[in-house]
Amino acid sequence: MASRRSGSRPRSKALREFVSEVEDVLDQLREGVADLLDVRASCGEADPELVNRMFRSAHSLKGAAGSFGFEALGELAHRVEDLLDALRMGRVALESPAVALLDEATGALAALLAEGHAQHEAASVAAVDLIARIEAALCPPASDRGSDDELLLEEPIRRALTEYEEHRVRENVRRGRHLHLLETTLDIQHFEEGLAELSRAAREAGEVISTLPAPGDAPETEIRFSLLVASGLDREAFRSRLHVDGVSVRCVHEGRRVPEAAPPDSERPLPTEPPPGTGELASLKSISGTVRVDTRKLDELMNLVGELVIQRSAIGALARRLASEPDTARLGAELSKLHQGLDRKLQDLQTSVLDARMVPLAQVFEKLSRVVRRLRRDLGKDVRLEIRGGDTELDKLIVEDLVDPLLHVVRNAFDHAIESAEERRQAGKPAEGCIRIEAFQRGNHVVIRVADDGRGIDGEAVQRKAVERGLLAPDESPSRKRLVEALLAPGFSTRATVTETSGRGVGLDVVRTNVTALGGLLDLDWKRGQGTTVSFTLPITLAIVQALVVRVGGERFAIPLASVLETLLVEPEAIQRSERRELLNLRGEPLVLHRLARAFGLPEERDAGEVHVVVVGIGGARLGLRVDALEGKHDAVVKPIQGPVRELHGIAGATELGGQTAILVLDVSALVEDVVGRLEAA
Amino acid sequence: MTEPGWQDLARRAASQDGAPERDASDEFARELLAVQLAGAGYALPVERVREIVRLRPITRVPGVPASVCGVISLRGEVFQVVDLRVRLGLPPADATLRRRIVVLHGEDGCTAGLLVDGVREVLRVPEGTLRPAPPDASSAVTALCPRGSAFLSVLDLDAVLDLEDTHAG
Amino acid sequence: MHHILVVEDSSTMRSLLASTLEDLGVEVKVTEATSGFEALRTVPRASFDLIVTDINMPDINGLELISFLKRNPATRSVPILIISTEGTERDRERGLGLGADAYLVKPFEPEELRSLARELLDAPRREV
Repeated sequence: MASRRSGSRPRSKALREFVSEVEDVLDQLREGVADLLDVRASCGEADPELVNRMFRSAHSLKGAAGSFGFEALGELAHRVEDLLDALRMGRVALESPAVALLDEATGALAALLAEGHAQHEAASVAAVDLIARIEAALCPPASDRGSDDELLLEEPIRRALTEYEEHRVRENVRRGRHLHLLETTLDIQHFEEGLAELSRAAREAGEVISTLPAPGDAPETEIRFSLLVASGLDREAFRSRLHVDGVSVRCVHEGRRVPEAAPPDSERPLPTEPPPGTGELASLKSISGTVRVDTRKLDELMNLVGELVIQRSAIGALARRLASEPDTARLGAELSKLHQGLDRKLQDLQTSVLDARMVPLAQVFEKLSRVVRRLRRDLGKDVRLEIRGGDTELDKLIVEDLVDPLLHVVRNAFDHAIESAEERRQAGKPAEGCIRIEAFQRGNHVVIRVADDGRGIDGEAVQRKAVERGLLAPDESPSRKRLVEALLAPGFSTRATVTETSGRGVGLDVVRTNVTALGGLLDLDWKRGQGTTVSFTLPITLAIVQALVVRVGGERFAIPLASVLETLLVEPEAIQRSERRELLNLRGEPLVLHRLARAFGLPEERDAGEVHVVVVGIGGARLGLRVDALEGKHDAVVKPIQGPVRELHGIAGATELGGQTAILVLDVSALVEDVVGRLEAA
Repeated sequence: MTEPGWQDLARRAASQDGAPERDASDEFARELLAVQLAGAGYALPVERVREIVRLRPITRVPGVPASVCGVISLRGEVFQVVDLRVRLGLPPADATLRRRIVVLHGEDGCTAGLLVDGVREVLRVPEGTLRPAPPDASSAVTALCPRGSAFLSVLDLDAVLDLEDTHAG
Repeated sequence: MHHILVVEDSSTMRSLLASTLEDLGVEVKVTEATSGFEALRTVPRASFDLIVTDINMPDINGLELISFLKRNPATRSVPILIISTEGTERDRERGLGLGADAYLVKPFEPEELRSLARELLDAPRREV
């Protein structure tokens, strides 16, 4: 099969993401294989959960490889999936020679990934051979699927078992285990916590095969769950192990033997458990006092707070309106007071939620250190990673988008910057290289530095190349800042070829683009022969801003209040002309007017008497935006606009104002620059 | 949240308790979402599809190519919507159509929407049954997928979302 | 108006099912559940005229869900349509054995789903 990606545009970032995720999945698979082989060596029994997990890893690996055109990788992952499927369904025994192939296969998968899209190389050839061997090993499918023991399972339970679950029942019975049926009745709207607790407790003592819901005695409010659990423990032992109230335990199948050498899952000593009674409570709280929160829930919460903040603004507006009418002035004053109270509480809430969005950088650093460990192993290069400031916190959204740029910089350091052991010895450096990552907060920003003790950057080489590419004038003696600019220019790289591990041909320019998109800065510093430091400076959070909503040409736009100086209502006669420009005399100074409708190609409203002008300013420059109407102030969570068009000129983002309608937020600095820049050029 | 579809899978694979679906087909297969456009069938790779939503108010955006009909806000995310008819040079849709927006996990983790006339089905197609695109097909069509007696045009979403050559001032 | 519950963990498949069913030609409301657990929580809150469910799902499987629905007096008579994958004949048969009314094997034409749904919605409620 020919690569169907040939000829299409490289999808660099998506591809890098793919590779890094595949590496993670492969890591999981490898660890799983190591565990399996350990169990196998000690003649133990494979943990069905582990085999299931591995099966799913192989399954997603297959799918992902397919969608990125890694065909050999996909094929091999497919065979690994088959093998694991056979293992989990009991068609292949753990002792079978086929299982030994798993180890080889994960290695081959890693090699294929490293080979990329190149065809007919060593790894592909090895893969074809391995695929054939796995197929051969699976070929005569083991026919022993366990005897059809007669089970004392009640109809409803037996009938709702899937094929896989049935296999697990048979397998456990074959191994002489007991089958217990646990029953509990829970509140139908909040059953999940209770059920999760019971399942967890049951898993401590055995394998949960099926979870069957049934209506409770009061079907509107109650739900009953029956858990089918296989365990080496008999009913009494199992029950005393469970520690969960309100659960009945029945043995539906007596095992053939007492657990003489009980499987590890039921043999594990109780981990320093608190005395019964406090057990449940204690298990709900973790030692550090933290809970994991689904990121989507956090986003939801953030959006809710955003909406509340917007409603608060509406209440404020109502209070002001009431206060301005003589009839309702007292009511208005009272409402205004309440509004202030609400305002304070909401601010607290906003702060708390923003705070909850903060995550420590440690999770990213953890990932980096895994990558370095792997590179060290795969490339045999001796590099130490030092990490400091992992507890520094950043907005979750920023952290998510930071993984790739950081990964890239670390790989660059590993691959290019740090010399071979030989070179290092000659330069009088310790043979072991070092990459140091540190993070710290500075005001409203977080600084992350990635420093290596490698060869540094050859400033002269950079300068030569920059001159070649016309980035610097030949006679210029560039400052460090100019050199950094050149280095970060699109497509600039100081090495002719970029090797596989350095980040697949993506240069620092992409890192810079990503960091800029987060509202951050990227900087470089180096000492020839001593090392390079890459610094990321990032805002701590993407916060809520106040905005003025205006109407222009039938559309609504939001203008960040921070850049609004004042709003004016002027008579059309007050508008003066200078060449094609419209001007206003604002307290003796000329103010250039900018028709937003015209700039945005929207229909212009025919003169309707007075003209609304929003005076905006950035730095020292001012500009009057002509709009059709003012709609009031709102608090807005400014969201980036995603999509194929990256640069939306004059638009900073979008926000949601009630309903599901998006409103564009103006990029005032771009608008001011446009007009003022044009004025200067003229 | 922006998560490419397959990462979703991997994550699910790592966390789920249940057994995943197991398909009988043994060949290396691709999954495609069949959509309807001006009376013809098109297909998109499923792994790039996040969800399908009904047509909702779209906020126009100044200064974008004509194929971008605006932005929508969906559960706190704001993204551009590309009218696939305009993008592929097909006649504009008539207003009575119950159109849908196919939300994509975009390139670089950027979400984007595709406005289509309707969605039809998810197909599993063995790689081998795909036919090469006709030589004069636009860069947006990578292959043809037989479906009954008809062919679905399989779209290359990277090409579809590459709007550089379609600037409309 | 007909109220349909769609239970499916894959978001693409779920929204595809939902949007296909929305075009039934009669007035319908489609509620989506992303897992068996969510379906269990949703069922007592509304009265459904049709439940469309996948079999392989992360928390409880479709068969367990069907078993629940058929033993619950409130949902016993609601028709159930199974959406299944090739190669899971046995599980599909089990579903019918538990009281589901019909199944569809992926991939299917939207019209197949719609006509089956119409049929199930129109059929007189049978008592189990």
